[in-house]
Amino acid sequence: MAVEAAKPKLADAAGANSVAGTRDPAHLKIRDLVYRISGIYHSEQKMYLLVSSCSRRMSECGIATPSEYLDRLTTGANRDAELKQLLNEITIGETYMFRHPAQLDALSTVILPQIMKNKTALGLKRLRFWSAGCSTGEEPYTLAIFLNEEKQLAGWNFEILATDLNTRSLEASKAGIYGEYALRNIAEPLRRKYFKEASNNKLEVNDLLRSRVRFDRVNLSDDSKMVFLKGIDVIFCCNVLIYFDLASKKRVVQHFFTNLLPGGYFFLGHAESLYQVDDTFRLVHFPGTTAYWKAPPGAAAAGGGKA
Amino acid sequence: MNEERIAKLRGKIAKLDSISTAPAILQPLLAIMRQPVDEIALEKVVELVSRDGGIAAQCLRVANSPLFARRAVETVRAAVMTLGIERVRSVLFGLCMNGTIPADKWVLDRNAFWRHSLGCALVTQTMASKIGYPEPEKAYLAGLLHDIGFLVISILDHEKFLECLRSAADRRCPLDLMENEVLGYTHEDAGSVLCEHWGFSNELVEAATCHHRLEMMATPGPLVCMVHLGDLLCRVRGLSYGYTEVMAVSFSQEGAWRQLVKAYPALEDVDFFRFTLDMDSAMDQIAALVDSVFGPGRAAGAASA
Repeated sequence: MAVEAAKPKLADAAGANSVAGTRDPAHLKIRDLVYRISGIYHSEQKMYLLVSSCSRRMSECGIATPSEYLDRLTTGANRDAELKQLLNEITIGETYMFRHPAQLDALSTVILPQIMKNKTALGLKRLRFWSAGCSTGEEPYTLAIFLNEEKQLAGWNFEILATDLNTRSLEASKAGIYGEYALRNIAEPLRRKYFKEASNNKLEVNDLLRSRVRFDRVNLSDDSKMVFLKGIDVIFCCNVLIYFDLASKKRVVQHFFTNLLPGGYFFLGHAESLYQVDDTFRLVHFPGTTAYWKAPPGAAAAGGGKA
Repeated sequence: MNEERIAKLRGKIAKLDSISTAPAILQPLLAIMRQPVDEIALEKVVELVSRDGGIAAQCLRVANSPLFARRAVETVRAAVMTLGIERVRSVLFGLCMNGTIPADKWVLDRNAFWRHSLGCALVTQTMASKIGYPEPEKAYLAGLLHDIGFLVISILDHEKFLECLRSAADRRCPLDLMENEVLGYTHEDAGSVLCEHWGFSNELVEAATCHHRLEMMATPGPLVCMVHLGDLLCRVRGLSYGYTEVMAVSFSQEGAWRQLVKAYPALEDVDFFRFTLDMDSAMDQIAALVDSVFGPGRAAGAASA
């Protein structure tokens, strides 16, 4: 949820390439390159986003054709730097709260009931969530509001850990001041309950909401810190791993596996996958979203089967 | 479902005038559907489409829609070539069935039904090609037909089926669960009888009969396994029947997947995440196709043969 793929309004001519066959083959090669390196996949319906990201980089670099740009990405002297620029371009765009209702629905209908059942059997009534790469805080605050509103959690304690590497982002998260764009999906009653007026028509998270989230600076590549994060039930790590090379990505994901309790879940960005990064997690499809599951030993299906 | 119930259902379906004596082009169309695509003569399809003015006009309209048109399509022959025999026969099938069922008898949203059926057809066929199943077009057909029993139930048990849909949507549970509770039989039973009645091969009948209950079969064939997976994928990616079910599916843990891998090990190499996103795009196109053929939310069927 942290930083999401560019929004359609950024596309110059959305849909102009929707008829198969009119596409420059170099764009398809760039698509596959981006997928291999970052795990972000542009399906046919999302190709226009990649095309417009490439166009912006191309005009920045003074490159005229997609195939020249492909060369720059594959054989150019600064190919790693350029790839990073392109990934920035792809994930550009402010995020907003409650951006992925399907993830919250999966939590509410399957994940929470399943985890709570397991914990109840152990006599525990505590849940831990981790927003890894929380950017400017929209994701952890969304989670906090959502969990606070979940009736099934009555009598339970929950804790949300939100971390980022970037201290400026963390400061913005802690300040918790948001404009209309970030709040667009939040209805009036929730605004009144969790926010207070700030200057310039903005809203600031109130003490209730603030008390629900703990912020900390964590470098996901810092093994010594990662091993101390234990007992997590659900991790969100959206569009963060895309910047890591394969070896570091593998190490972070292995850490996540250890950080999670058996039966815990791990959400990536919605076009982002662990393909060829990891096969210890199990890919689970929920309506409108996917997650990775740390299946407890001997488990059959997620959520005890479908439905 | 016991034998006695099946026999009763057979009797009812045989008596169902609207379905057994369907539009004039249904029988020749079914004959074409029972054939492998590469053995179907283009002229035969063109002739069939041309028999019905309404249907011919529809095909031209679809071929000229932005989804397919590269240039203006003016003849039925060009329309069939633009759309491809496979798409034409499923469009014809949809138009025929819509013509068979009175507008007020639909329980499921008509377009949602065709989106799901065509979506499942496409997912099943794509999966079949990917894993090296020798007859992908048969897989397409199995997907197209798998839920046809819903239409039978809409007519035979209209009121009770409405109740099923309402409770299933309230409980966010699979429809067949409610069918079992309320009707005592499911769309699988009805679809099975109808597909048999229409003379489809055992494999296709099996796919319609058991896509939700593979465990009933000693050794489910590849077709029913693929339809099972295709149906699940459509339901988790938004091609469902007007409500979102509560579900969590790990495809690689499904019995159907394990069964299928035994015969087609290539399935294990499929990047299923990427496959899912590719299918999202295809499903978008299907939704557009369905709306362009049947019109968004229009109540009455278009075929008038």
